[in-house]
This record gives sequence, structure tokens and C-alpha cells, in this order.
Amino acid sequence: MEEKQITFKPLDPLLHSELRLAVMSILIGVVEADFVYIKSQTGATAGNLSVQLDKLSAAGYIEVEKTFKGKKTCTLCRITGKGRDAFAEYVETLKQYLQIPKG
Amino acid sequence: MESKNLTTESSLKIIAETMERSRMTIAKNMGKPLILWGSLVALTSVVVYFLWSKTGNPGWNLLWFFMSIIGFVCTMLMDRNKEKAPDTEVSRIIGKIWMWFGIFVAGFYALIWLAYLIIRYFDLGTSVSADLTLIIALAMGLCGVITGAVMRMKSVIVSLIVATAVSVVVALVVAGPTKILVFAVLGVLGLVVPGLILQGKARNSQLAA
Repeated sequence: MEEKQITFKPLDPLLHSELRLAVMSILIGVVEADFVYIKSQTGATAGNLSVQLDKLSAAGYIEVEKTFKGKKTCTLCRITGKGRDAFAEYVETLKQYLQIPKG
Repeated sequence: MESKNLTTESSLKIIAETMERSRMTIAKNMGKPLILWGSLVALTSVVVYFLWSKTGNPGWNLLWFFMSIIGFVCTMLMDRNKEKAPDTEVSRIIGKIWMWFGIFVAGFYALIWLAYLIIRYFDLGTSVSADLTLIIALAMGLCGVITGAVMRMKSVIVSLIVATAVSVVVALVVAGPTKILVFAVLGVLGLVVPGLILQGKARNSQLAA
């Protein structure tokens, strides 16, 4: 009997990280979110969050805009079309992994 | 939160939990302005009714103007104090619906004054014949129904359609200060109730978490 081979799509390594995934999960549901909000929702440190935002931005998954709110600087983040597609594909792949019975 | 690697189960858990936490923070913040403006409208309506009935002077309707100033100041103070939450497409649409309602009412009021001044200036011998209560009640009911539809709250839609129908009939049949009470009903059903539902959902979710 021939064994059927199941091929798994690899998970996007950029999204398969706790903090980056949490950031994308926030941005997928909003028009845009500022740095302070993302920090409070994820509980991440400012330094770590900055690094992860830079990685997502470099991949074209999010747009980062630096503006001013009064005299204070404000970093706004919004998800791009590419990021939205990548997130949807990531979730679909996760589902595919979970559907396969273990053992 | 560290940027460590994950299992598939924990990935889905992070997505679900983060989305839900963010959604509830937004819902809690979205409810507050609805409750504030609804309460102000209902309160002003009752105060105007009371003073107009007692004095027989419809000039007390000017209190609506002061209500809008109080509302704007309170909204600004609330924005300063509240936990910052971003806009979603839904919150942005609801904000725009009520912003345009405010512009419509202010513009309509200004046009009535303009018509009144034209009649006076040219001595046309007519009077301004517009039922402000009827028109504003219809517009307010419509905005409330759209708010309910955008938020997918069938109970809000149904109660507002009923309230608007009753308000329109009252506005057509009743004259004088009693008419103004339709805004109390619409303010509570169109703004306070959806606001409380949103906050209730946010609170329940936080307790469950």
C-alpha cells in the first residue's frame, strides 16, 4: 500500500514569534495603533517592542509613522496589505497543522 | 512578553487572547462617549420640558446649545483621562455618524434662523414653518438605527425603530413642551443603551479573563 505523504507549508518565521504575533493580532483589528497602546496590550518592554516593530516594518508587514501629539512624539503603526495577507496565511497554516492527528 | 518561538497551539492562543483583549479595551472606550451624550440629551430634554412648561417660554430651548458645549468639554476631558485605545473601522464609522448628525442639527438650526431673518428683513408676512422636533427626532432615530446595525445589535435596532415611530407620532400629534420629551427617549435608547451594552460586554470579558 502506498503511503500518502502530507506536505506542510512552513510557518512564516517572521510571524512565528510571541511578540510579533501579538503585535500583528492587535493591528489586524484596528485602523492604526500607537506604540504606547501596543506596549500596554502586549506587556513588552519598549526596547524589545521597537526591535520587533522594525523587523515587521522591514518585511513590509506594517507601516510605522512618527508624528507629534502636541509636544510629545507619537509612533503610529498600521498593518499593510502584505501584512494582512501574511497573517491570514499564517493562521490558515496553523489550522492545517492542528487538523493533523498526532501520534 | 518575550520574542521566543512557539508551538502551534500557543500561537493560536496568543492570537485569540490578544485580539480579544484589544477588542474589549476598544469596546469599553467606545461606550463612554455614547453614554455621556445620551445622558446629556435625555437630561437636557427633561430640563427644557420642565422649564418650558413652568414658564411658557420656548426660549429655554437655547439650553441645547449649552448642552453641546458641555458635551464637547466633557468629551475632551474624557479623552485626556481614558486609557488610550485605537480606532477600529466600526468605532470610526459610529463616530462619523454622530458627528454628521451634530453638523446636520447645527446646520438646520442655522438655516431656520436665516429663513427667520429673511422673512423679517424683507417683511414677507409669513412665518417659518418647520417642525424641528419631528425632523431632528427622525434624523436621531436613523443615526441610532445605523449605529445598532454597524454594531450588530438587533435589540438596539428594534427598540429604536419603535421609539422613533412613537416619537414621530408624538411630534405630529402633541404640541408645546411635552413634544421635547421624545429626545429623552431617543437619547436613552439610541445612545445610552448601546453604550451600556458595549461596556457590559467589555466588563464581562475582563471578569472571564
